[in-house]
Amino acid sequence: MSRRSVLLFICLVLASIIIQVSLLPVFIRPPFKPDLLLVIMVFIALRESFEVGAPLAWLLGMFDDVCGGLYLGLNAFTFLISFLVIKSVSDRLYADSAILFVLTVAGVTLAGFTLNLLLILMFTASPGIIYSMLSDIFPRLLVNAFIASIVAAFPGFDCQLESQ
Amino acid sequence: MDFLKKYLYPLLTGIGILVALLVFSLNVPLNREANVIERSVLGVLSPLLRPVSRISGFVEDIWDGYIQLVDTNRENMRLREDIRGLNLRMLEANEAFLSNRRLELLLEMKKSVREPTVAATVIGEDITSWFRTLVINRGSSSGIREGMAVISSDGVVGQTVKVSSSTARVLLLTDHASGISATIQRSRARGVVKGKGEMLCTLEFATREEDVKVGDVIITSGIGGVFLKGLPIGEVTMVKRGEYGIFQTVSIRPAVNLSHLEEVLVVQRGGYE
Repeated sequence: MSRRSVLLFICLVLASIIIQVSLLPVFIRPPFKPDLLLVIMVFIALRESFEVGAPLAWLLGMFDDVCGGLYLGLNAFTFLISFLVIKSVSDRLYADSAILFVLTVAGVTLAGFTLNLLLILMFTASPGIIYSMLSDIFPRLLVNAFIASIVAAFPGFDCQLESQ
Repeated sequence: MDFLKKYLYPLLTGIGILVALLVFSLNVPLNREANVIERSVLGVLSPLLRPVSRISGFVEDIWDGYIQLVDTNRENMRLREDIRGLNLRMLEANEAFLSNRRLELLLEMKKSVREPTVAATVIGEDITSWFRTLVINRGSSSGIREGMAVISSDGVVGQTVKVSSSTARVLLLTDHASGISATIQRSRARGVVKGKGEMLCTLEFATREEDVKVGDVIITSGIGGVFLKGLPIGEVTMVKRGEYGIFQTVSIRPAVNLSHLEEVLVVQRGGYE
């Protein structure tokens, strides 16, 4: 990654966290809050190299955990697993496709939900959370896909981030 | 003749002044009535005055309506700015008034709590929608530690978790991981208030024999050491006793409106290092 890309990435992550923690809760109800860090992670998984992307995906998950919930490492684990799965197939796909990006974000939202649920049920003592998660998953899936479609509509979306 | 020739003009002037004075003095008592001269002059002038008055009115309209519009436009802009400024000041005043009322209530609550407290402002919410936490603008530098009770003017909000030097996260009483030892104010029945997610709680471990009714107020029992005894938690909204089982199902609506929380008090008691 170039210095400019690193700076852009840091600004993007910071802006996403601030928007999600302080701005969006004022205007929209929790189930309709998008997971912007997940969208960034999917973008990285489709575009970046394995060496750079894997630690970044884990870091993004850690940011998600620091700013939400009680269990540090929960989303970090989920993001890393999701990254590895996407990376393992992304070389065989046309990664610049907007539709693929939207579908991948939707898929990762579902996969992340399942993994999180499994981890919470296995390692924590809050079984009741399954009802909250189940009631939230459908709006969350739609909102994340919507945000992904907005990102895909940005000019320059189909440009490569780095020369391979 | 020479005399007349010499003093004709001064003489005529004096006569004229005298006549003018006479006319004036004769008309002083008749000051409210029009005499022949006045009637005749007005009669002659009136047909001329009407069209001239119309023309001057037309010119005045043009002047006021068009030529002076340059100033009107400028004034209009200034007035709009003034209105905008006044609206803003009105909003600020309203906001200050509401904030003042909230803080007054919080201060009353602070006075009723016998332990030291620190006021904090809510600056953020949980990044995910599955957990129910808030971020407040006070941390360990203000003496806050994990496991301290957080209250507002209406009652219990939750307890602090994950404290940094300048911020702290508050685990709301509606989170699935939250549990608060509680008592029903009327019947003194005991149980544990557990979070149910979306702005709801349940009273767990309340046996079937306990007297619980819809509308009962739930307060903290003081057991556990985090919350002081007697703080309002919420109100019973539903009681369900099945045919079998040891416990009854009791739903609770929190006393605090957690979605519109702005200021809270952290009770500086207990907590863990």
